[in-house]
Amino acid sequence: MEEGNLSGEESMQLITKMIGQAKNQYYQSGLGALLWGFSNFICFTLAYFDATSTWFKLPFNPFYLMFITFILQFYFDGKERKYKRTVTFKDEAHKYVWLAFGISVLILTIAGGIADIGYIVLPLLLLLFGLPTFISGCINKFPPFIIGGIVCWILCIVAFFYQSYFTYLLVAAGAGVAWIIPGFILRARFYKNIANKNNGF
Amino acid sequence: MDFKELDPILHSQLRLAVMSLLISVKEAEFTFLKEKTNATAGNLSVQITKLKDAGYIDIIKQFNNNYPQTICKINSTGITAFENYVKALQTYMTL
Repeated sequence: MEEGNLSGEESMQLITKMIGQAKNQYYQSGLGALLWGFSNFICFTLAYFDATSTWFKLPFNPFYLMFITFILQFYFDGKERKYKRTVTFKDEAHKYVWLAFGISVLILTIAGGIADIGYIVLPLLLLLFGLPTFISGCINKFPPFIIGGIVCWILCIVAFFYQSYFTYLLVAAGAGVAWIIPGFILRARFYKNIANKNNGF
Repeated sequence: MDFKELDPILHSQLRLAVMSLLISVKEAEFTFLKEKTNATAGNLSVQITKLKDAGYIDIIKQFNNNYPQTICKINSTGITAFENYVKALQTYMTL
């Protein structure tokens, strides 16, 4: 771009063009969705088999595996920062929505566990899963997240009527639909963009 | 008709492009601005320094994975200047 004087019309065109280019910047590799999707899917499926099977007994609580997910999340965050060249206002909204979700899940699982509220914690968890997933989908105009969020809410309604081990499988299914499937779609887009030498979409 | 004077800092192609990009995001890396404006690193660097000296943007220099990184961010003075520039521009456009 060369330096030079602009007419009023040229200035307006330039402003519109640049705002349009910056607006479409959205970096999402899908790694976070896949990571949390798989870890929830695995943990809740293991919890189901641990609770129902006579031959399958874990020597530890399967949800302790979530600590590994936290460590991996920090690792991936560090790696992704290298590719991210802008922080948009969407990114900020996204960050706070998921932060609020994380805090809510921690409160529900820790306080719920101490208070021993039983299986009711699982439909509430599905309710929470649906919230940030749906909002993320709407903010980023990404239908797989919107569908995932809605499916979580439908599973939440079902889970309220199945206060048993079966609810573990409903939560695992919720994680699969809300995060694993969209995660693979995001990942495919991410690789496509790398092939086009354009980080983010 | 009352014509407002156009801010000379903003009434330049590259500086206006940089400000338009920065107004749309919270912060952006130097490489992003270079790619979107198709400017040379030297020219872009000079224009960004002028915007910083005018008090319109903040520049943060840091290291990311051992690589130097320059992050640019529009500040409240810059936002006001940009808004005033657009308003002034509109008075010319409605002629």
